[in-house]
Amino acid sequence: MYGSAMLSGANDTIICPHCDVLHRAVDLSRHEVAACIACGRVLARHRSLSIDQLLALTVAAAVLFLVANSYPLMTVEVHGMQTEATIWDAARLMLHGWTAWPAAVLALTMFILPMLQIALLLWILAFARVGRRAPGIRVLLVALHRSRPWSMTEVFLLGALVAVVRLSSWVHVTPGVGIWALASLTILLTILSMVEPQFWWTLMQART
Amino acid sequence: MNTPARAITVGLVACRTCGLTLQRAPGSSAAPTVCSRCATTMGDRIVRSSERTLAWLIAGVILYLPANLMPVMHVSGIGGGQDSTILSGVLSFWKAGDWDLALLIFTASVAVPGTKFLALGFLLWTVYRESSWARRQRTVLYRLVEIIGYWSMLDVVVVALTAALLRFKTLGTAEPRLGIVFFCGVVVATMMAAFSFDPRLIWDMGAGDGR
Repeated sequence: MYGSAMLSGANDTIICPHCDVLHRAVDLSRHEVAACIACGRVLARHRSLSIDQLLALTVAAAVLFLVANSYPLMTVEVHGMQTEATIWDAARLMLHGWTAWPAAVLALTMFILPMLQIALLLWILAFARVGRRAPGIRVLLVALHRSRPWSMTEVFLLGALVAVVRLSSWVHVTPGVGIWALASLTILLTILSMVEPQFWWTLMQART
Repeated sequence: MNTPARAITVGLVACRTCGLTLQRAPGSSAAPTVCSRCATTMGDRIVRSSERTLAWLIAGVILYLPANLMPVMHVSGIGGGQDSTILSGVLSFWKAGDWDLALLIFTASVAVPGTKFLALGFLLWTVYRESSWARRQRTVLYRLVEIIGYWSMLDVVVVALTAALLRFKTLGTAEPRLGIVFFCGVVVATMMAAFSFDPRLIWDMGAGDGR
């Protein structure tokens, strides 16, 4: 059985998740990164973005997510006939028979989980900005942690670019607004993912 | 330089979800319990990590065969229908002069899953052998597997988008084929294998041999 850390100063320790070596947490200055002395795993990063800035980035990501999913990624034209597709279309049109399985995985990893990540960050940061703890923060942070490796917006971006090139050898393809929004969204999500996971958990200490 | 202290030897453990340092109550054994900050269940190590990793890895290897042998897409239009597998897709890019795209798809769809099988298999083998050799490098190898894993979804995206866009009846259509189902299975299975593996096992074995 484990109790919460009762050793004096045990809250100032960081245990490397990859090799179990014990470290004392130190304050990092700008651009500093703390790495494990045994296995080299990054343990902590200096957080250069304030809560205000993180919230601003998240709001921008939410807007871009909306645009990336409302406008077609690309338009294909053959003899005057046109088709276009969004991220959701790519999953929806495979949703029959056996291909419903990969379609469900696509919908989850490219649409539902990225949307969930942005929504959770918005909720948590909006409360953190006014110095309050977001309702349900514990469950939400666990959800954020669990869904992170399955959120794959950047893979979709690269896949869309490959599809543009591949299709262009057969038909006339025009990249749409969606793909530019997706590219910008990828950059914002990458910046947001560089915030060290420990930071989000410290937001639990705010008053309710 | 002293051997760095490990949490397990001083009765501490890091929560796998939130990273909080927790102390084991005196005299108790390593039974799974609940983290005081994030309330997730946890123990000293991932339960049956090696067995679960091996199970997912075997599932991945089995799915890898039909994923590469069966067609992932069927393109029809002028000049009749044509099935394409992942490798034939790579080849057609190569022949068309798009060597960079051929390389990209080959890396994401063939090399990355292959690397994951070899790397995770190697890690499992060395953990099973209780090897104390090149611990740091093996941990770095684990991190590599963890990072590259999801890029294999690339081909699923390409097939889905191509099928969503090429629907011009007689002029040209693309349909996903069964191979893509297996391929998606490979990606999920290898990702599950990577997350089931507990890299701390690399450092647990033979810890008393003086490094």
